[in-house]
Amino acid sequence: MYVEPGIHLMQGDEAIVEGSLIAGCRFFAGYPITPATEIAERMSRRMPQVGGVFMQMEDELASILAIIGASWAGKKAMTATSGPGYSLMQEGLGYAILTETPIVITDVQRGGPSTGLVTLPSQGDVMQARWGSHGDYGIIALAPSSAQDMFDLAIRAFNLSEEYRNPVVILADEVIAHVREPVKVPPLEEIEIVERRKPSVPPEEYIPYLPDPGEWVTPMPAFGEGYNMLVESVMHDEFGHRIGTDHVAAERTIKRVYYKIEKNVEKIAMYETELMEDAEIAVVSYGSTARTSLRAVREARKLGIKAGILRLITLWPFYDKIIEDIASQVRAIVVPEMNMGKIVREVERAAKGNAEVMSLPKVGGVLHHPDEVLSAIKKAAR
Amino acid sequence: MIPESEFENILAKKYMRTEIMPHAFCPGCGLGIIERIILMAFEELGWDEWEKTVFVSGIGCSGWVPLYFRRDAAHTLHGRALAFATALKASRPELNVIVIMGDGDSMGIGGNHLIHAARRNIGITAIIATNMLYSLTGGQMAPTTPEGARTQTTPYGSIEPNFDLMELLKAAGATYLARWTTYHFMQAKNSLKKAIKHKGFAAIEILFQCPTYAGRYILNKPDPRDMLQWFKENSVPLTVAKKKDPEELKGKILVGEFLHRTDRVEYTEKLKELEKRAKGG
Amino acid sequence: MAATRVNQIAVSDKLCKGCYLCIWACPWNVLEISEERNWRGVKKPVATKIENCRACRLCEYYCPDFAIQVIVDEEEEKEILEVEERYEKPWLRRIERRNEIVSRGVWWLES
Repeated sequence: MYVEPGIHLMQGDEAIVEGSLIAGCRFFAGYPITPATEIAERMSRRMPQVGGVFMQMEDELASILAIIGASWAGKKAMTATSGPGYSLMQEGLGYAILTETPIVITDVQRGGPSTGLVTLPSQGDVMQARWGSHGDYGIIALAPSSAQDMFDLAIRAFNLSEEYRNPVVILADEVIAHVREPVKVPPLEEIEIVERRKPSVPPEEYIPYLPDPGEWVTPMPAFGEGYNMLVESVMHDEFGHRIGTDHVAAERTIKRVYYKIEKNVEKIAMYETELMEDAEIAVVSYGSTARTSLRAVREARKLGIKAGILRLITLWPFYDKIIEDIASQVRAIVVPEMNMGKIVREVERAAKGNAEVMSLPKVGGVLHHPDEVLSAIKKAAR
Repeated sequence: MIPESEFENILAKKYMRTEIMPHAFCPGCGLGIIERIILMAFEELGWDEWEKTVFVSGIGCSGWVPLYFRRDAAHTLHGRALAFATALKASRPELNVIVIMGDGDSMGIGGNHLIHAARRNIGITAIIATNMLYSLTGGQMAPTTPEGARTQTTPYGSIEPNFDLMELLKAAGATYLARWTTYHFMQAKNSLKKAIKHKGFAAIEILFQCPTYAGRYILNKPDPRDMLQWFKENSVPLTVAKKKDPEELKGKILVGEFLHRTDRVEYTEKLKELEKRAKGG
Repeated sequence: MAATRVNQIAVSDKLCKGCYLCIWACPWNVLEISEERNWRGVKKPVATKIENCRACRLCEYYCPDFAIQVIVDEEEEKEILEVEERYEKPWLRRIERRNEIVSRGVWWLES
């Protein structure tokens, strides 16, 4: 049923499928788009084998609503797309957020704006992932750097989405989606999987959007289980009933969907550091850019420059504290990104002026060369 | 004698969220009658069927219809009700999935999802409540606005012809089709019962009175009673229409059961077959 | 004149919006618009000629607001109260609980 434990040569797009299935994903809806098409293709083959449903929808607007529908049918559900499709999904994403529906969206980023650079990588959707849908909300976004990450983060994404009842975005890019690498699949019993919590009280006592003290979300029943859920896209109160002008009830709802992510950043945030113990120059990087950055940092060490790297795995919610710590340790922070400089703004904000923050943008659909990052490190070290 | 101050009809007590009633519809709005048609159908189908039923709606006045039912309901985005419902049905084929849409949800912003749901012949019951314009936003042109009609966005008269939903869905592949008005209360209820039991994509168009906008702007009948009277006088049953020549039928509302096909296999049954093939069975 | 066949035609003060579709629907002219406005400001219909009612229930069917109910006899009255007890009341208790919790202030607004 699942991919055998052991080491497999897999494309990033394939690894994310296998990871999702192990995480319990049983519904996939999507619309073909380069460079995420391979995810839909493999899902169409694998999903029925594990007893799930694969649907090729008529467009991305339908795809995201379909996975929300499947989630309320009690399934873990996912879609995969790229920039143009992700833009179309923003309204649906907001619907999932307000109704606290666990879903996973994979955005395999390609160059934009518009139809853009169809077959080339980019990290241009980073801010869209945070602020793309209208209104205020919290969201989780993960950035894989390898095929192995695609496998591991798929599982992590489903776990987080179930735990916080919130959409989780996997911000891959064309490089990671198409790279073929060895992927280590651990034995199933070693993989932690979070299952959806179901209400334990009878339906008449269940208040759909009023969590117990200290909890951020309520257990989530599926449709047809007698709980008479109202999945309401209009601003609603604790019962899911529409509220017209009750601004107090609206504030309660909005603040909870915002804070449930932002206040739990320490539990959600993942990062990796290398050579940071004595570093004076830090490279903060994520996604495929982290790979060239790591190479550049190692080269810098050979030249005697005390450089280190922080790889952000969780982009959103942004983990200010780790940047704050690093900024108080190093002289300068270099932020290479495949965009005109997006996460660098967050780094700059979190560094609070304690270290010089240098942006290293790259657009046009090509990864940074390690030498480019290296020369930025050298410049910072001067 | 039962006191009348906080009273609700027995159907409301049994099936509806009385704590949020009276509902938000204008006085005389036909959507309340559509709610009643749905509940009467379930009163006859039985409580077991009701417990297996879930509702999905889009945005618009019509989107509020299922919110008053004490039942699982999703008030989705404008036009996307069918996408949500399609996944719901595909994931849980044992549920009765009833989708309530208005003019915009079904033929405007959601037109694409409508034809694809019909093409797939997925076992959803679509109740399409039409009222000839967009009423939630204040009476603008809809794909169902008759040519020449004045609305808030067609002050000089609409220059666009309107959709014939029945013909559209017939071509797209739906397998059960009926059109009634809120005047045809019993007939609509009977069609709905058939549609819920039907295996395949079933759509019932119910033309309802919107006295506030369609009544004032299009028909010049701001009283709901006059609108129902107009429905009565201007609707022609299909069986009668067959004997008349097209000239006589101009401007009339054809009502009746338009299609009942049993030759197309329903989508979720095909899904089950597919799963068997994929598992090598 | 036929003997009275119907006990009560209940018209809800809470739900009636005064569209008078019931009056339009009634073939026996049982209902009339009342002179006085109720607490919601509606001149709701009243069954002034209840003796004419044949319990065809067309007024119920065309009422968009679930406001009207033809109650033929005590048995039907009992049925209504039973439905209320069994289907409606269990769901109303949680409202008080929510109100109580919310009035104390929800914890995530304080943090």
